[in-house]
Amino acid sequence: MSSPAAVDTEAEGPDLVCELDSVQGIVDALTSVRWKRHQDAVVELSEHGIVIIVEETACLQAKVYLQRELFVKYEYGAHGRPRFGVSLGLFVDCLNTFSVPGRSNILELRYPGPDMQLLLRSVDCPDSCIYADIRTRIPETISWDYNFEPAGSTPISFTVKSAALKEAIDDLEWPGSSIQIKLQPAPPSVIFRGEGHGDLQIDFNCYANTDLLIAFCCDQPISHRYKYKFLRATTSNIPSSVIRDNRGSKLTIGRGGMLKVQHLVSVAKPSTPHPHIDSAGYQQPSRIAYIEFFVKPEVEEDIVNDY
Amino acid sequence: MKFKAFLTDNGINLLEKRILPALDKMGKICHLYFTRDHAFFLHNLLNADGVQSVAQFKQQSLFHDYRISSQNDDKIAFCIDLSLLHRALRSILAIYVESRDFNSSGLQIKLVKKLPPHSTQPMPFLTFEAKGHKSAVVQDVPISKPLSRADVQELQLALESAQEMPATLVRAPELNSLQNFVDRMKHVGEVMGVSISKCGDLHLQISTSLITLGAEFRRLMVLGERADRVVGDEGLSAQTRIERAVQRGDAMNVQVSVKHFFKSLQCSLARPDAAFYGIAPQGACLIVIFQFFVPGTRQTDKSISLHCRLPVLDPGSN
Repeated sequence: MSSPAAVDTEAEGPDLVCELDSVQGIVDALTSVRWKRHQDAVVELSEHGIVIIVEETACLQAKVYLQRELFVKYEYGAHGRPRFGVSLGLFVDCLNTFSVPGRSNILELRYPGPDMQLLLRSVDCPDSCIYADIRTRIPETISWDYNFEPAGSTPISFTVKSAALKEAIDDLEWPGSSIQIKLQPAPPSVIFRGEGHGDLQIDFNCYANTDLLIAFCCDQPISHRYKYKFLRATTSNIPSSVIRDNRGSKLTIGRGGMLKVQHLVSVAKPSTPHPHIDSAGYQQPSRIAYIEFFVKPEVEEDIVNDY
Repeated sequence: MKFKAFLTDNGINLLEKRILPALDKMGKICHLYFTRDHAFFLHNLLNADGVQSVAQFKQQSLFHDYRISSQNDDKIAFCIDLSLLHRALRSILAIYVESRDFNSSGLQIKLVKKLPPHSTQPMPFLTFEAKGHKSAVVQDVPISKPLSRADVQELQLALESAQEMPATLVRAPELNSLQNFVDRMKHVGEVMGVSISKCGDLHLQISTSLITLGAEFRRLMVLGERADRVVGDEGLSAQTRIERAVQRGDAMNVQVSVKHFFKSLQCSLARPDAAFYGIAPQGACLIVIFQFFVPGTRQTDKSISLHCRLPVLDPGSN
């Protein structure tokens, strides 16, 4: 408490006080980037919302964007962009205890607490209160920068039904190890190919699979290989609501073969709107959390040979 | 040693649909203990660790034509596998219900000794028997050898000491949502602090080096010793409020296993009408008492009682 930082915090009030009415939606969004049991996450706060960043061995990074529009209240009082580290698993498990099925409930998040904790509490019921404080850590620096740049003049991308993408990647588990993703303009198609214990090729043909392949943009043939386990992490925990809502996922291949996978997770409240929102006349323009994965391609063999 | 009785319709319903599913969650093996007036299902009464549960029924609430005799003051106790008992009951009911229109004698339950196949030693069984119009069905549930006089005495003493009541009981919040909450909470830690105040507050908390997660339920119904709310504690945090109540002597606190706490909540499968939490004198254990109403009334059904005692993890701390 004697450190100058703590005094400053007390004098200026918390960096962030916000309230959520759809805990389950946030749990779903965060669960989609939880590909293993113990993961450290970096949380970044800004006036636009909260970004949660998870990464693995400089090959895979995931970001969950919780825009301020997802919150029924969002009071941001910090200068700059405060960041803190937290265990993702613990954060999700903790949030999950606040999600009461069949009941609308308001959760308040506050940062920092007196000891730099992240403080959570349910605020809508006078006779029962759930509260938590989660210890935060000084975040590790992000080990590599995911500057995603388009590969050419037009971005090379396609949008596929999330369920179909997940199914395709699940099926590729059998050949395993390394998966080639190939896009070609003529005939316009996307090919997933796995070679390992056996060969498996999954084709999404633009003309044949119009219901699955929603959008396609490619002006030159391109092909890169990705480690199966990283590819799998991008869809393995996709929330059931995404499949239920029949949403699409967008995949873009950038410079150097960097793959970007984007999902949209609905954080809409299933029940009737809370009076709190109505009275404030607050419109919910989008109740969507954005999830982005960045996967680095495998180093091509000819490059390896050069070294 | 003889035991023979017929299950009443109410008894069948109660055991099959409510009591056995709940008790099965408390542990596979339990003691079944019959006296002249009562039948008991007892879990973990003779060992110190684990959740103890005591389900007590007046014999009339389960049986008619109840006959018991033994050289030990008409007391009989043995160990039984609850999942086998439940399965046998369900299977015989399937046949019994079909044939009950022709069936005047009902569903009989008795203690028998039989020679099992490939064995030279006769073994004890609890047997269900339904006599239909044209056929009879028998289901044998293997049981342990009946307890010796000394063991029955030990069980009886443990049962008596398990009847000790807390000074204050608070009525638990709605059990399904509490169960749901604790189910999620148990991912976060293993030890739960439970505080109960005389002004009707129940406070649950898991605290580890990484997280503190808690829930406070206030203004619950209080039975037994009560205290008035302290003016000015409204603005305090839940933690501070309960800590102060403990310091004043208006609240008690114990540490129990989250798993045990969750397990005891599974008694809600017995569909009790309410549950009460209390801490035994000197913080010896956490007690949860389930209350059953006489159907269609708000009066306690005294013929059934079910309660659990959760061992305290660190008895020195209080």
